[in-house]
Amino acid sequence: MTITRKTLHRRSFLRGMGAAIGLPLLDAMVPALAIGQARAVKAPLRMAFAYVPNGIIMNEWNPAYEGKLGELPRVLKPMEPHRDDILMLGNLTHNTGRALLDGAGDHGRCSGSYLTGIQVKKTTVDIKAGVSCDQIVAKHLADQTRFPSLEVGMEDARQAGDCDSGYSCAYTNNLSWKSETQPLPPILDPRSLFERLFGNGVILSPEARAREADYRRSILDFVGEDTKRLEASLGPTDRRKLDEYLTSIREVERQIERTETANAQIDPHMEKPYGIPADFAEHFKLMTDMITIAFQADLTRVVTFLITREGTSRPYREIGIADGHHPCTHHQGKPELIEKVTQINTYHTTQLSAWVDKLKSTPEGGARLLDNMMLVYGAGLSDGNRHLHEDLPTLMIGNAAGAIKTGRRVVYRKETPMCNLHLAMMDRMGVHMEHFGDATGELSFAELT
Amino acid sequence: MRSAGRDWAVAVSVTGILAASVSSLAAPQQRPPASAAPTFETAVKPLLQNVCSDCHNSQSASGGFDATVFLAPASLASQREGWDAILRKLRAGEMPPQGVPHPQAQIDALVKYVQGELDKADRNVKPDPGRVTAHRLNRNEYANTIRDLLDVDFRAQKDFPTDDSGEGFDNIGDILTISPVLMEKYMAAAERIASRAIAADPLPKPVAVEYANKDRRIRRVDASTIEATHRVDFDGEYNVRFELPGQRAADAKPVMLDLWMDGKLISSKMVETKPSGLVYFDPYSEEEMRVLLPEGDHVFRAGFINDDFVKGLGPKQVYDKKSNKYLDGIVFEGPFKPKAEPPSRARVLICDPKSGPACVEKIVANLARHAYRRPVTQTEIAELVKFVGLAEAHGQSVEQGIQLALQAMLVSPNFLFRIEHDPNPTDPAAVHNISGVELASRLSYFLWSSMPDDELLSLGESGKLRTPAVLDAQVKRMLDDPRSSALADNFAAQWLETRNLDVVKPDPQKFPDWNPELREAMRSETNLFFNYVLRQNRPMADFLDARYTFLNERLAKLYGIEGVTGPEFRKVDLTTDQRGGVLSQAAVLTVSSYSLRTSVVIRGKYVLQEILGTPPSPPPVTPPPLDEAAEGTSASLRQQMEVHRADPTCASCHSKMDPLGFGLENYDAIGKWRTMDGKFPVDATGTLPNGKTFSSPGEMRAALVSALPQFARCVVEKLMIYALGRGIAPSDGRTIDGIVGRLAAQGYPFQTAIYEIVRSAPFQMRRGELVETKNVKEVAQK
Repeated sequence: MTITRKTLHRRSFLRGMGAAIGLPLLDAMVPALAIGQARAVKAPLRMAFAYVPNGIIMNEWNPAYEGKLGELPRVLKPMEPHRDDILMLGNLTHNTGRALLDGAGDHGRCSGSYLTGIQVKKTTVDIKAGVSCDQIVAKHLADQTRFPSLEVGMEDARQAGDCDSGYSCAYTNNLSWKSETQPLPPILDPRSLFERLFGNGVILSPEARAREADYRRSILDFVGEDTKRLEASLGPTDRRKLDEYLTSIREVERQIERTETANAQIDPHMEKPYGIPADFAEHFKLMTDMITIAFQADLTRVVTFLITREGTSRPYREIGIADGHHPCTHHQGKPELIEKVTQINTYHTTQLSAWVDKLKSTPEGGARLLDNMMLVYGAGLSDGNRHLHEDLPTLMIGNAAGAIKTGRRVVYRKETPMCNLHLAMMDRMGVHMEHFGDATGELSFAELT
Repeated sequence: MRSAGRDWAVAVSVTGILAASVSSLAAPQQRPPASAAPTFETAVKPLLQNVCSDCHNSQSASGGFDATVFLAPASLASQREGWDAILRKLRAGEMPPQGVPHPQAQIDALVKYVQGELDKADRNVKPDPGRVTAHRLNRNEYANTIRDLLDVDFRAQKDFPTDDSGEGFDNIGDILTISPVLMEKYMAAAERIASRAIAADPLPKPVAVEYANKDRRIRRVDASTIEATHRVDFDGEYNVRFELPGQRAADAKPVMLDLWMDGKLISSKMVETKPSGLVYFDPYSEEEMRVLLPEGDHVFRAGFINDDFVKGLGPKQVYDKKSNKYLDGIVFEGPFKPKAEPPSRARVLICDPKSGPACVEKIVANLARHAYRRPVTQTEIAELVKFVGLAEAHGQSVEQGIQLALQAMLVSPNFLFRIEHDPNPTDPAAVHNISGVELASRLSYFLWSSMPDDELLSLGESGKLRTPAVLDAQVKRMLDDPRSSALADNFAAQWLETRNLDVVKPDPQKFPDWNPELREAMRSETNLFFNYVLRQNRPMADFLDARYTFLNERLAKLYGIEGVTGPEFRKVDLTTDQRGGVLSQAAVLTVSSYSLRTSVVIRGKYVLQEILGTPPSPPPVTPPPLDEAAEGTSASLRQQMEVHRADPTCASCHSKMDPLGFGLENYDAIGKWRTMDGKFPVDATGTLPNGKTFSSPGEMRAALVSALPQFARCVVEKLMIYALGRGIAPSDGRTIDGIVGRLAAQGYPFQTAIYEIVRSAPFQMRRGELVETKNVKEVAQK
């Protein structure tokens, strides 16, 4: 860790972003992307999940009405300019987040089950969840984009001690799971995300780029052979470790191939960020700016964004709240604590609103980037004070190219599995599954329109 | 229902008697004479039946424990884990609880008898050393290994995602997974590291990066010092320019300008501060230093040393150009080609690769042996040498070819993983010694969090390392080596949770003393203290209560200790009983607090978990939360916490946790001593789980020292988890008992714990994996 964090060179960065916003990157890239299919390309559909922890003050979230969205409660007030682009989903439940027979640890459990729909194994050593829905889609789309998925976060993991009542920190540090034992850690540092998406800024000649690609391919072949030699003498658990390694190797190989086909280095028109901004809003803006560019340039179609970790005790001095988030949410009905949590919830939706602004102001093929998206904003707990897993606060933002009728609030039957939404979203993304988690069927988009 | 349980217990005990009578046919009817050897019937059953089963029975198995299951001698074999737990609770004095009869003589007799029987049984059981899963290097191990392999300073902590941890440590084989993102990072890191090691790639054009106060990119540490975090993109020389607005009085003396990187002084220069006579309206000057900087994120600090002049200035005058000359910005310009070659080149190029293929092969073989930490085969060398050919085919030099081969090694599973081989990987009965080089790696990653050095690797290869005397000598050598401070950085900082200093955020309004310097001072104290106990082989009791600690001026001020001046740390004797041992160190007290206040629950849990080794059971599903926020305002915290005792569900754990937390209430949320909490006086009375009472932190420490055997066991278990990179299994119990026993006999010298772990079967052996049963179990669970 650094002793201080360097603040960003904000002015020049903003200048850079201004240019990027005005430029429809995807359109610009079409000639390089697809010889023969240029211009005929239909804008792709994207899926993103943005997660906030410790529940929401539900009185300030749920409007008193159903149907067309009008005036919104306090926490959602910042989203009012976007209410035509929102579908509020009520009564979705994650039963697998509940204790069932596993006792305490609602924070660890609800975070682990949020996208996997699995009641995760209560352990601090041999972690086990399930493949998360974003990763099922990512695998399906793997050959379409350079990155099958992006995992982004904003809060550094706890580094010692345990996380929640016998649940490994892996469950709260990660939202996406590539296999039942392989969580995908989110990128927290803006620089690291920048370099992953846009390279380290060194522009190579075509020959040098071809040479580097050849080297990398040879190295990957070499380590693949190495791994095969090793595996012969290993037990099943060790072999599983090496399989994770091999899977990751293959993914890097695919990326190299994609980069070659695309044959373009993307210029994000933004200055490379340095360091993690101490200010929450500034960090949020940087990360979502880059997610937006990644979608726009079709670098990926699947993103999970773990805004902060379940159980986090981060204070919000940015808005004058010095208490930790988690202790506040156990408010026992005390008005002053409820007020603080409400302010934190609202602060989060304020940042979200700014991101949605950007997604709406980014043009794509005559429409807006947001129109080709399903962005879910939500939490794994509704009432954080009592650790409730029903009526999870859930917003669907964007209309999936007209498939979803937004501007409304729909309240489903009680205990409707959250996994029904996952199933429906996977279906929109082209993955047709019979079962997922405890889903009882797709949350029908037809029914919603 | 209750009587049914009793009947069942009786039925079991009848079989017990029958079994017993078979072995004593002579006089089955007579009571055994008092001097007869104790039996299960005489030494165990009465206590279980008359005392324990009142709460622990089949109807109300308090704490999930049913004593009636243990009423037959057969349970000694079938309920081994349960018996181990019973012995632990009885030895620690936690059971029977207060308010229940406590027949000490009977308890002692039970412990002695059961231990004897278990030992007897153990002598006939083949030892199970357990099995460690293939272990990916974590961030610290990666960085240290690169340092020791190539002499390259690589900041993996900055570049790689956080490693997840299990059992409190981030070096657990099962938890260390590889994600595609990490693989990309490994690829990129290998490319950079290989390039930096060979230093044959051309440097890019120099650029200048400015950190100035006007852009909020520097931090003003104090009136004479500024700080900036800068990422150096390439190894090389840089011109570092300092922006100095203002001027001082006409008779002001020159001052010394120092430049530090990551806390180390790298350059100094005398600087004139009086008016130059050239510029009148907007006095400004620059100074420049040329320095060699390593690639990566670094914290740079520039400051005037012994700058007496500013002491005479008011706060407004410090940054007033008319009255002061001050540091206001820093510019890095570069990279430029360094005059000297980096030391890594000599490390890698052990002969001149232009001299021909023999030398190239020699270089590659040497690198691979060290990178893979074992002898390499001819085939492996040949495969690697192909990369040199590939680079040459692309028109690159032989050096760049070696660079490419090195790059390949650094992403090979042989480098990234510590893999141990089994002759029969799926036969759990196939217990065997790990190989010499595997042992060398276990040892070096345990003590150094890094690769074996030449001496250790050679002893591993020749097989001599397994000789007990040789092994002990290596442990001694390695503990004496500075690299063993990795135990403080990685073991102690996780055991004591002080790594969380990076994530805790004490409220700056409520705790104005808190700043990055104080945080680093806290970290240093605990780090130096641990290193001292380790290097000096002090008794482990020092961790609980020591009459010394390590302080600099800033921390001494926080502690209210006089006579410590300057930023350097030194050993300080403690003269009052306000401080002593880790539980009175600010780092520990800060990471176990909330940002605005202390928490007796968190601190109590901390003591149970990290000191006594008896973590409380998780709270009930929906904890009725307490109003800790109102601490010190409406009712005293202690009054509020009594709620925990009122509800029996809460009481079972909180009656242990809270009293320990209260014992630390004299320290606020950043570890400062206090006697008042808000408007209420601090009441630090409490009780240890073994019933010992105390009324101040000093007395609490003394009481903890009386539980030294329990503390030692806790530390040995944690050290063992860390040493092996896996959780502790029941089969490790005997090993741990043995180690704790030998430690006790010597007065608990800390190093002995390390020697003993290294000598143990779990450290030196492994077995095949139990496959079938495990899968069946999993299916059954579903």
